[in-house]
Amino acid sequence: MLELLSFTLVIQLLINGVLFGTMYGIAAIGLSLIFGTMRIMFLAQGTMIIFFAYLCYWAFHLLGVDPYLSLVIVVPIGVLLGIGMYQGLFREAAALEDKNIGLLIAVGLMFLVEALMTVGWGGTPRAISTSYTSHAFRPAGLDLPFTKLIGLLMSILATVGVVLFLKKTFIGMAVKAASEDVVATTLMGISPHRVNSVAFAIGIGLAGLAGVEVATVYSFDPFFGFAFVLNALIALALGGIGSVTGALLGGIMLGLLQSLSSFFLPGWSDAIAYGVFLLVLMFKPEGLLVRSVKKA
Amino acid sequence: MKNIRSPILAVLVTLALATLPLIVDPEKSSLVYFLFLAFCYIVIAQAWNIVAGYTGQISLGQHAFFGLGAYTTAFIWLYDLTKTGYYFDPVTMALSGLVPVVLAIIIGIPLLSRLRGDYFALGSLGVGQIVKILFIKGGFFTGGADGLHLPSRVYTSMSPYYWTGLFLALLSTAVVYFVIRSNTGLALRAIREDETSAASHGVPVLMYKILALAMAAFLAGLCGSLYGIYVFHVNPESMLNLDWTLYPILMVVIGGTGTILGPVIGAIFMTAVFAVADVFFVQMHAVISGMLIIVVMRFMPNGLIGLIPRKG
Repeated sequence: MLELLSFTLVIQLLINGVLFGTMYGIAAIGLSLIFGTMRIMFLAQGTMIIFFAYLCYWAFHLLGVDPYLSLVIVVPIGVLLGIGMYQGLFREAAALEDKNIGLLIAVGLMFLVEALMTVGWGGTPRAISTSYTSHAFRPAGLDLPFTKLIGLLMSILATVGVVLFLKKTFIGMAVKAASEDVVATTLMGISPHRVNSVAFAIGIGLAGLAGVEVATVYSFDPFFGFAFVLNALIALALGGIGSVTGALLGGIMLGLLQSLSSFFLPGWSDAIAYGVFLLVLMFKPEGLLVRSVKKA
Repeated sequence: MKNIRSPILAVLVTLALATLPLIVDPEKSSLVYFLFLAFCYIVIAQAWNIVAGYTGQISLGQHAFFGLGAYTTAFIWLYDLTKTGYYFDPVTMALSGLVPVVLAIIIGIPLLSRLRGDYFALGSLGVGQIVKILFIKGGFFTGGADGLHLPSRVYTSMSPYYWTGLFLALLSTAVVYFVIRSNTGLALRAIREDETSAASHGVPVLMYKILALAMAAFLAGLCGSLYGIYVFHVNPESMLNLDWTLYPILMVVIGGTGTILGPVIGAIFMTAVFAVADVFFVQMHAVISGMLIIVVMRFMPNGLIGLIPRKG
């Protein structure tokens, strides 16, 4: 009996890890695209996700818009904001040799948005409670909340969408090519500004999607964003910088690691995550999922 | 004429700053407090300037060195280790600089030999966060999340803080000045410009990178020690806060990366911005700093020092 119970428990921990990890994964995909094309660590990604979570929250509370329906507003806003952000803030920085400038603009943006949200909307944690928030499927003693499953589905669909976009459309292929070699791509007659705009548009659009996921599943406050982006960075390193599906799987790996370690070693889960992060950076910087290329 | 003017100017400014607590009442003057903070920021800004500005290794783990310096002072004091008085004691302070150097060497060997560019930045961030968690989880030894309390009854006056801060700010700027003019400085800049080329010209790259990180750790540790005895309470949330990594970066880049006076200008400028924002827009503190970072970086990526026209 005890063994059965602990078996169910382990399965539940694994499921929790996957469900949480896909959100890191979505954030990591955005980071990966922006880093891949411009070599900018977009540290404001987590804060943008929280910003969209607030948009979703206010749409629900003030206008009565269903959180999932608000995707049709939030994601396009994200895409437009992404293009605007690139053209207004990062256009020059992306072309500079010194990558700190881009990093710092992102840090400034993070401070700014975080502070505006705190001033405007207060620092108290918010959560959306709809008629279906407490719905859950309970097969075989497991607990599968409805909102988390929808979140998982959204993440997978979004990842598939981005992968197809990068594979099937011309501008998508250009983004992929630029991640591999910016100079060569430019020589082929592709404007780096268009590619970078698209990377930002997808990245911030995905932040909108992740924002809706956060808003429906968890309670959040303005300062949650920074912790979120640090986890997304770890996910990125685990999955291998530059790969879209790798980023999602990296997020899932991190989710599993945190879920298991916070149960078995409470309080140490962040330290363990950073420890694994360091080991991966040092010994397998191409990510855990890529077969190692022998160094020449 | 030009060669003699700058040292004279530096000495005059230093003397003017040093006599300030004798002219105004250091306990009441907000200028003394303001400058004390600015001096602290200059020290950590110059620390980051050496390792990132001149050597090109973006360390995001500076808060670990700063915090470790503060904790070393608190340990030595509370466990009565050196029997040297502790309050503004040079031995304690020097040790608080050296312990972070040990950490810098321990983490520098694996990280700097294996990780380059952004990967080192991420790795050092990971180390910083791990150190913070270790101190939170340190139990009785580190006082956990509450940290260590120092006996604040020994406080006498603001003046020694001010003078020590001034001394450390001068020391850190002098370290940058003399290191950059030496062969070591040449090696550091060669590594920043092109690591492979530096190595092929016989520069022991790893050794110099670790040296730069160790110097940064030493200065950050000294500053942590001073700040620790200023607040009399060393805890993970304040001493190992990521702000101690982000603020110096902000100040160096806003002032001018890889220059000797840029970090000084950036530190004073940002301290002033923080102070003004705190007084006039209490809630808007971070809004103003955020906007300012964006504006400066967007329109003058060379920093404020780029505004000063170069002579000759």
